[in-house]
Amino acid sequence: MRFLSTFMMGFKYLWKDPVMVLVVIAFPIAIIFILGTALSNIFSTEVIFEPAPVAVVAEADSPLAMFLEYDAIQQFFIPEFTDFAQAEEKVAAGTVSAAFVDQGIGQPVLVLMPSHADHMAQIALTVIDSYQQIGAAATIAIMSGRDIFTLTGLEEVEITSQPLGIRTPGAMDYYAVTMIVMILLFTGLNGMELFHKGLFSETGSRMRLSPISKPALIGGLLAASTVTSFLQGMTTFIFTAVVYGVYWGERIPLVILTLFVMVLFSQALCILLIIIFEKKNVVGGITQTLFFVTTFVSGGYVPFNFGDLERIFRFAPNALAQTVVFGAIYGGDERWMAISLATLFGAAAVMMGLSFILGRRRFA
Amino acid sequence: MIASMTNIVKRYGAHTALDHMNLSIAKGETLGLLGPNGAGKSTAIRVLTGLTGTDAGEAQLFGKKMKGNQPELKRRIGVVPQDLALYETLSAGDNLAYFGRLYGVKGAALKSRVAEVLDVLGLSDVAKKAPKKFSGGMKRRLNIGCAVMHKPELLILDEPTVGIDPQSRNHILDFIEQMAREGTTVIYTSHYMEEVARLCSRILIMDAGRVIAEGSVEEITRSVLFEETMTLEVKDPSPTLLDGIKNIQGVISCEADRGRLTIVSTAGAANMHRILELAMPYVVLGVTAHRPTLEDAFLALTGKKLRDGGEA
Repeated sequence: MRFLSTFMMGFKYLWKDPVMVLVVIAFPIAIIFILGTALSNIFSTEVIFEPAPVAVVAEADSPLAMFLEYDAIQQFFIPEFTDFAQAEEKVAAGTVSAAFVDQGIGQPVLVLMPSHADHMAQIALTVIDSYQQIGAAATIAIMSGRDIFTLTGLEEVEITSQPLGIRTPGAMDYYAVTMIVMILLFTGLNGMELFHKGLFSETGSRMRLSPISKPALIGGLLAASTVTSFLQGMTTFIFTAVVYGVYWGERIPLVILTLFVMVLFSQALCILLIIIFEKKNVVGGITQTLFFVTTFVSGGYVPFNFGDLERIFRFAPNALAQTVVFGAIYGGDERWMAISLATLFGAAAVMMGLSFILGRRRFA
Repeated sequence: MIASMTNIVKRYGAHTALDHMNLSIAKGETLGLLGPNGAGKSTAIRVLTGLTGTDAGEAQLFGKKMKGNQPELKRRIGVVPQDLALYETLSAGDNLAYFGRLYGVKGAALKSRVAEVLDVLGLSDVAKKAPKKFSGGMKRRLNIGCAVMHKPELLILDEPTVGIDPQSRNHILDFIEQMAREGTTVIYTSHYMEEVARLCSRILIMDAGRVIAEGSVEEITRSVLFEETMTLEVKDPSPTLLDGIKNIQGVISCEADRGRLTIVSTAGAANMHRILELAMPYVVLGVTAHRPTLEDAFLALTGKKLRDGGEA
């Protein structure tokens, strides 16, 4: 009864605070919205393009000319046959994406590109490269009228190539997972104010003067903050799935369970530190530093090797959660996923247990 | 005996907050703890309610020593802390309901009690509003309401009227008087002499962690000997009158400001009739005798002013 009352009170208290709502809901969404938009546009794996005009300096019956007139190639290029001087002018003026110059059988094709080449120019290079890899045999085959260009070399220029049935994370997929895990790690700070108010300060004294037991008080506050923070995670989760189409895989229950355990870990850590240190600014400083460090070692990049430390970094809370979530979505080592989830939950359970024990002693 | 403290000593480092303090309160009594800031009133309450341990002595509530978590004792007391102890984003009604539930009030009884407390404290109109939007006085009233939701047998109030408007103060004092009339035992700490004098049948004056006087207002003021001050307003007083008064036994000084004579005598001089005899030939416009107050008593006992705890 008193546990439930404290849980309901804490839940209402957190959700009726406009600053808290802003932090809980708007802030994570804003972060994902701002950076997510950038990531989606820059690192999108799907490039929409139309056939680009290219200048071609070659005899009409040359292997290169025949190659460019092939249907599969013309989905990329519209060749304009011209002389070398005009080809140079067109490239310089930007009216064509590139110019291909046939230098004769057995010689590499010269490709003229503007200094700031667009993606079509890059495609042009790739196509020509594939042409040259086919080599003289292909050239001879074309000249003899045999059709051997059944995409043998052209497969390499497919932009959206992915093996069927296996999905690899795009930039936004990766970003959404790491961002939600990081946000949930920081949610303990949301609950810190509630924990401090309910255990210390005048309100805390009033609570401790009431007949509520310490486990009911600590448990009620912990439950309120955990549920609030978990809803924060779910809101962000749904937002990324609906707005950005982030792929969360087929094992959604496991992903959600992992996110819940992450919330539990963060809340348990903060309430334990509040009971030990009492002062909000001290606990805030410790947890923020810790959270930034663990976030960095779980997903940050530095151009040098940490050696054996890398093994320890795998046990950072973010790293453990990310191992399970990525594994659940894209397939991972099931044993290592189970160890990661168990480690994260175990750490949360130990900290909760310590909180109850220390809380009972401290407020006895 | 509802509550008692026997030879309580409480130290914070080198500072002794309570120095062999004794206190007892009987059922239905309203006891005032009066003293300047830092006198030890709040510490006494924390010790009595078990929030703070002691270095020596024993505190009891309802005949039992307060130690650890004793829900059966906690259910019988209500404490109004000096600072606001509310959840600011919850509505006034939700605050009352939550603290009521903590004490086991539930269902229809809880709903009815919330409405009753809101009404008595004049907060019915703002029941659904969050206290962060309240005036200081309204917050103080709600702070008290949260402590009385379960109708405690012993109500302890630690300076509940600090920094509020006179209207709210009156509301609070009326409410406490009503609780006392209904049989609630009350311990009331304040550094407002007039509040303690109005509410309390017995007063403990504290200073530097010690009880330095105890009794009713009359008993305390009588127990301290004061100089007596009399003001005499006379039309056209002559120097002869002034000299005559100064020569009366017990008169310490006689100062004239036009027709207004301020005469200070030693305590118990009982010389008013002699002064009036000398003034008979003159037209006497007024006579005022200054009655010693609790404030005077405190000043005499401690050498400090009551409100700010500073030197007089």
